[in-house]
Amino acid sequence: MYKAEVRGPLILGNKDYRQITSDIIAPIDNKTPGWWKGAMAVSVLLASFGIFSLYWTVRYGLGTWAVNNSVAWGWEIINFVWWIGIGHAGTAFSIFLLILRQKWRTSINRAAEAMTVFAVGCAAIFPAIHMGRVWLAFYIFPYPNTRGPLWVNFNSPLFWDFIAISAYLLISASFWYFGMVPDFASIRDRAKTKLKKAVYGFLAFGWTGSTKEWLRYEGLSYVLGGIAAVLVVSVHSIVSTDFASSVIPGWHTTLFPPYFVVGAIFSGFAMVMTLMIVIRKYYHLEDYVTDSHLNAIAKILVFISLIMGTAYTTEVFMAWYSGNPYEMFTFFHNRLTGDYSFMFWAMVVCNAVIPQVMWSKKVRSNITALFIISLIINLGMWYERFNIVVTSLSKDYLPSSWTTYSPTWVEVGIYIGTIGIFTIGVLFFFRFVPMIAISEVKSVLKPTEISEKH
Amino acid sequence: MNSTHIIGVFDSKNDLLAGIEGSKNNKFTIDEIYTPYPVMEAIDALGRKSNFTKAAFIYGLSAVIGVLSFLYYTSVIDWPINYGGKPTNTFPSFIIITLVLTILTVTILSLFTFSIRARIYPGKKYFLPDERTTDDKFVILFNKQTAGAGFEAISAALKASGASEVYEKEL
Repeated sequence: MYKAEVRGPLILGNKDYRQITSDIIAPIDNKTPGWWKGAMAVSVLLASFGIFSLYWTVRYGLGTWAVNNSVAWGWEIINFVWWIGIGHAGTAFSIFLLILRQKWRTSINRAAEAMTVFAVGCAAIFPAIHMGRVWLAFYIFPYPNTRGPLWVNFNSPLFWDFIAISAYLLISASFWYFGMVPDFASIRDRAKTKLKKAVYGFLAFGWTGSTKEWLRYEGLSYVLGGIAAVLVVSVHSIVSTDFASSVIPGWHTTLFPPYFVVGAIFSGFAMVMTLMIVIRKYYHLEDYVTDSHLNAIAKILVFISLIMGTAYTTEVFMAWYSGNPYEMFTFFHNRLTGDYSFMFWAMVVCNAVIPQVMWSKKVRSNITALFIISLIINLGMWYERFNIVVTSLSKDYLPSSWTTYSPTWVEVGIYIGTIGIFTIGVLFFFRFVPMIAISEVKSVLKPTEISEKH
Repeated sequence: MNSTHIIGVFDSKNDLLAGIEGSKNNKFTIDEIYTPYPVMEAIDALGRKSNFTKAAFIYGLSAVIGVLSFLYYTSVIDWPINYGGKPTNTFPSFIIITLVLTILTVTILSLFTFSIRARIYPGKKYFLPDERTTDDKFVILFNKQTAGAGFEAISAALKASGASEVYEKEL
């Protein structure tokens, strides 16, 4: 009845070490493909619109946005949380699977970490610009200053957020970069042009692959991995306390930290899936990112989707069970029904219903279906954040303060701009950096060979 | 100062491990081993140990003490604020920021420790006996003066263990 399948080989095609290096470095050595140039042109266009919108905001002030006294947080906080959520999976992916010694991570972790760095970078734009006078953003640094000897409020989740995200960005970027150092050395030592040798030689930091270096390298990986695992959970918990520590109906709930962390990992894994499918398809790396890898991600997604469904149900149940009329109103008259009910049901359908089709093995092995579902999940997670932020703020305790919110072109422009910035980053990553961790893949080649023989 | 080195090149991890075993049996002193990915057995064979985790723990402990002291200083000594008579030393609300700042501190200090101890930094002049080690070869390096045997003896022993080539090089 219960038949456990042995995991298939991690790398297909009977590769040797040299072949692995060649395959993974090929996109760097080859000419820039036409689709890459096209995608870059579109991304630059989007990013330019975003930069123009940012300029507009700085030039004319926050009055150019549709936020108001009631809905003081609009698209900016939605997009901030959305990007941070996407950024979550990279480090979660690398670190939890590293700690759990899951060898299948090796083909995917590099791209996931890259995605994290770009996504967190995009996220950081929003709180900074939301301050209004962005050039005074440095006020948030805790240092004795000349504006009266006041300290920042160390007890505020907003300040925790600032530190947590700075730490997260630093740790993700360093985890990513130091992971690449041995691979940069591989490129350096195979480079045929002087320029390439010099550039990748500089990036490789003098790496040689001696036991002395590998020993410390492993030490650094586990130390960073261990502490980042705590950080992954705490960053999004802290983001959730930005909401949960307020007394706004729909926000003031202890469910928020786990709900946010799981939701973040959900959207991040979906984005990992999107990226891996693109890498596989356009760079012909099917031997490294196998169907089995995508199948594993799909299984994780379907499991998390169930947790999301449970969280949505729990929220609604608690609103009723608490007997709190404000909570009741928020959930039953302003989410399930009312002005923003589309957002609520879109969220439920995209995050909790549609991913359930991945129970079917047929769907899990259909790459097009997986690609579409991964995009739907990311859309659904955006609706979730809209649902949380806007519905609660638009109609709270005082009916005289009720209002509706829809963004201006400036707010939409900033969001579109961050999508452009993210894709520019990802495209540069595709072009100039080994997309798969070469040294790590080599280290799992042997067990793969053995499993193939059996 | 340049000196002559003997370089044994292996095609696989198993051959490398046999080569290390053979060198040990013949009492040759290995100078260094270069591999395309981390090989724990090679690290152990050279008796290398790292105190990285202990260092990280000390950084973490110092950071916890440092951050809590700093928070106590800012909110109790330097600028106490009266929030409706609540105590200024609000320890429970210091915990999260302490955790996050500790992680930030450990990360920064660990990166510096790695850079200093493994001598990995931008612009470093490196010493790589065989460029193929960052691709597909495993190399055992002997310093001819301290290896404990001549080229012929080492070459014969390594080839018997499966070395694909053994050569001398001035490095």
